[in-house]
Amino acid sequence: MNTATARDETSLPKEDALPTGNVAKVGRVRYTLGQYAIQWIMLISIVLLSLANPNFRQPSNIANILLQASFAGIAAAGMTLLIVAGAFDLSVAGLLALCGIGIVELMPQFGLVAAILVALALGLLLGAVNGLVVTKLRIPAFIATLGMMYIYLAVGFIWAGSVAVPVTDSAFLNLGTGTIGPVPTPFVVMIAVYLAAHGILRFTRYGRYTRAIGSNPTAARVAGLPVDRILILAFVFVGLCTAISGILLTALLSSAMAIMAQGFELNVIAVVVVGGTSLNGGQGTLFGSFTGALLFAAINNALNIFGVGAYWQYVAVGSILIVALAIGGLRKRLLGMARA
Amino acid sequence: MHSMAKAEEKPAALQRTRQILRFVQLFESLGVLLLLAVVFAVTSVMSPVFLSYNNITNILNTASIMAVTGFGMTIAIAMKGFDLSVGSTQALTACIAATLVGIVGIPLAIAGTLVAGLIIGIINGLVISKIHVPAFVATLGMMSIIRGIALLFTNGQSILIRGHDEYALINTAKLFGLPMLFVIALATLAVLYVLLYHTRFGRHVCAVGGNEMAAVAAGINVGRITLATFGLVSLTAALSGVMLSAQLMIVDGTLGVGFELQAIAISVLGGTSLAGGAGNLPGTLIAALLLATISGALNILKVPALYQYMALGVLLIFALGLDSLRRLFIEKAVMMERTR
Repeated sequence: MNTATARDETSLPKEDALPTGNVAKVGRVRYTLGQYAIQWIMLISIVLLSLANPNFRQPSNIANILLQASFAGIAAAGMTLLIVAGAFDLSVAGLLALCGIGIVELMPQFGLVAAILVALALGLLLGAVNGLVVTKLRIPAFIATLGMMYIYLAVGFIWAGSVAVPVTDSAFLNLGTGTIGPVPTPFVVMIAVYLAAHGILRFTRYGRYTRAIGSNPTAARVAGLPVDRILILAFVFVGLCTAISGILLTALLSSAMAIMAQGFELNVIAVVVVGGTSLNGGQGTLFGSFTGALLFAAINNALNIFGVGAYWQYVAVGSILIVALAIGGLRKRLLGMARA
Repeated sequence: MHSMAKAEEKPAALQRTRQILRFVQLFESLGVLLLLAVVFAVTSVMSPVFLSYNNITNILNTASIMAVTGFGMTIAIAMKGFDLSVGSTQALTACIAATLVGIVGIPLAIAGTLVAGLIIGIINGLVISKIHVPAFVATLGMMSIIRGIALLFTNGQSILIRGHDEYALINTAKLFGLPMLFVIALATLAVLYVLLYHTRFGRHVCAVGGNEMAAVAAGINVGRITLATFGLVSLTAALSGVMLSAQLMIVDGTLGVGFELQAIAISVLGGTSLAGGAGNLPGTLIAALLLATISGALNILKVPALYQYMALGVLLIFALGLDSLRRLFIEKAVMMERTR
């Protein structure tokens, strides 16, 4: 099976014989357009939206967009790494809720710091569980994590009941609602997480290995890379990032419950995919995911400002996801690469 | 795969792998039945109500609605595709059916609903085959879009089916002593069984799922097969939407959340491998009965609905674990045969 897949992949470029390209061949303009498509789209959207509605460009609204971008954004940093490694995690909504519930349940007895540490540890642990299920039981990642999602959801319900558990510690709430200078605290955390993730993916041996197992797992295995361990670590990283999101979101909402993040996995993956990370694994850009998170937050914010109902936002998120992938395919052609 | 050698020439290791493989397969088909029997026996002892006529009818009805879409999903998985949008499609089509019944009468309402389902499926298929968006993300996006449309269509309200009490007959009528919904499921099984195992279309579906490159090389129009398969899946989702609306007689846009997971779970539990290339339709029906029996049992034993998520997740992981075990042994057997 693995060998067959490997052969399929090597024979793919032959199928549609597009020219293999580089900057010189496709031209500077097309390259810049293609490489930074998402950033251009972001820039144009922001300018247009600012011109169209004065409320949009209010500093308080901009700060609000940065805040809203942070939650899916932080989890998306981990997800980018995981998608580069060639897998997915659809359980993040359940994982996030469990970490949030962990915080609100433990804080009264154990205090702020211990509760946060436990929530982070929970994220690491559940990430490792996901990774083990995928690698050791050899279940395709997205279906395994879909199953885990339901298990986490059930555990969340059992742990906290079906009501929101409130939290009142003002120091904790400040994590979600406070600002550092004019910038919301979660966004500062998001920048830090992205810098760390970028560093890991670009400049460490682990990052190189991650890209290697994502682009060709069989070759990586044959080359002697510990594929399973690398993949489990990527799941652990997603768990950690999601736990951070969960802590900040709980602080913002000042409560936690099992369904606090329904549909979160869709948003997170949409952010990564819109950012230009290939679903085939092997390559990804954290700058793209970062921009993708901001773009989604800006669009949702604009939909709210223009009074578009909540139901339309389902349609918008789904459409953006599909259009982004369609554009991704187009972009590849623009860059003169073989098809995705 | 040819049967290249006679049994006695095969080395002992290969024999053993074959034996284990046969055991896994046997366990898979008998195991689900066995599990079904155990759950049945245990619950019957614990609660005499379980074996009542009403309860059995309930279980059959729940299983039938699940199984109808499960059949479609089984064929999609045989083609190595997925449709994550069936839950939203079920909700939307149930609402369409409920609305149409009041306007055009029952037969036209059912026909119109099925056409609507087919259109949704064709859109899915076009996005996947023409825009080359991976099925998983395309249907994830469509899941969100269709959910939004269903909520917009109903404006977030419930639709009560009034003045057409005959519509409920789809749910309450009996044919040869069997509940009508179960008869519909059996009829769907019969039609799709012939389609998958005895037509050229069915063979092409399995060929595409088994090895897409080989199917292309053999001159199969993969795009058209993809389109037809996804059309079929949404058609079965629409049929389950009709069945569900007749069962509930009051519908809204939030129906069917998690339904896609159930459909995939019963397909895999029924013995359809995620590796693609083959589908087990009767197995899907048996697995649907198992899942419905478990949730019926949990209901009767007054276990909170929340634990049913847990049961679904655990069952899914279990079924997939078994599936990957089977694939492991098939790989081993194939590899041994090759290297001999």
